[in-house]
Amino acid sequence: MHGGFELWLFAVALGTSMLGGLLGMASGIFIVPILTMFGRIDLHAAIGASLISVIACSCAGAAPFLKEGLTNIRLAILLETATTSGALCSVFLAGLIAAKYLFLIFAAILLLSAQQMVARRKQPPGAPERAIGYSVQRLPLGMTLMYGAGLISALLGIGSGVLKIPAMDTALRLPIKVSSATSNFMIGVTAAASAGAYFARGEILTSVAAPIALGSVLGAVLGARILMKVPGDKLRMMFVGILVILSAQMLLAAFGINLIGRAR
Amino acid sequence: MKTGIASSPRLEPALGALLYYGTILASAVIALGLALARGLGAAGMRVATAGLVIFILLPVARVAAMLIFFLRAGDYKFGAIAALVMSIILLSFFLAIP
Repeated sequence: MHGGFELWLFAVALGTSMLGGLLGMASGIFIVPILTMFGRIDLHAAIGASLISVIACSCAGAAPFLKEGLTNIRLAILLETATTSGALCSVFLAGLIAAKYLFLIFAAILLLSAQQMVARRKQPPGAPERAIGYSVQRLPLGMTLMYGAGLISALLGIGSGVLKIPAMDTALRLPIKVSSATSNFMIGVTAAASAGAYFARGEILTSVAAPIALGSVLGAVLGARILMKVPGDKLRMMFVGILVILSAQMLLAAFGINLIGRAR
Repeated sequence: MKTGIASSPRLEPALGALLYYGTILASAVIALGLALARGLGAAGMRVATAGLVIFILLPVARVAAMLIFFLRAGDYKFGAIAALVMSIILLSFFLAIP
């Protein structure tokens, strides 16, 4: 493994983790398509490295939220029973599902994310503005969605914000700051449950995952410092465009077509 | 389900510190490993792999810390929930070992 490729992986993780912080999504949704399409990395290795990135972003970003008391740790551990169960099931499904179908599912998740970004996320109706003294509603529906989020997270190596956001907003009706902080806290444990299994099966390649981990930590820290304000509409629409393009690319990859990948 | 945000005032900063210093440790070990790999090759990569293992274990350590805290505080309901999460994670690890 040469130094240039290592630096490229580091830069990809740095950029996507900063971007993830900016958009309120985990970095994995960008890392997996970029690694498979531009880096020509095997899908399973890309998913393994991406899970490491999700853990790194979650751990690196957790402390300030915990200090401010925004993270609801009791709700988090309760929902983690559902997300880790989903991850456990998925770890064994992943071996059975052909890469082609994983690419297809990934394309669908990217489109869903684009759609969520267009719709914009609002304070859920019926949820209090303030981050104190709120109550958690419709827990069974929330738990079911979280199980699905864990399943998708372990299958594709992403944080699965695309399913956590409806779970937190529509089902549980949490204040937006609380759900962001609690979701960030939870994705680390969910990703660790599957990353441990991927590691045991030898699907986490140090040469890929190590530079990714370092870039992710730096990206998450920088992202939190620089990007405290909500991105403007033009920027949002640009990312909607990027998500749609990545989705199209993943769809093509499902059928073995790679238009933009560089030969290595 | 009613939850107070300041449910466990001592636990949250402690978890924050665990994740913060754990991230620094894991990153330092990975960086050291990648640097060593330039001169030593495979031996350096093994150090970097150890750093990745620290990262994977960090959220697990966080669940363990919550488990211990809940049990010590006499909160057996949440202690049991934390124990369940811990068992699912460990099951996932051990079932994957070929």
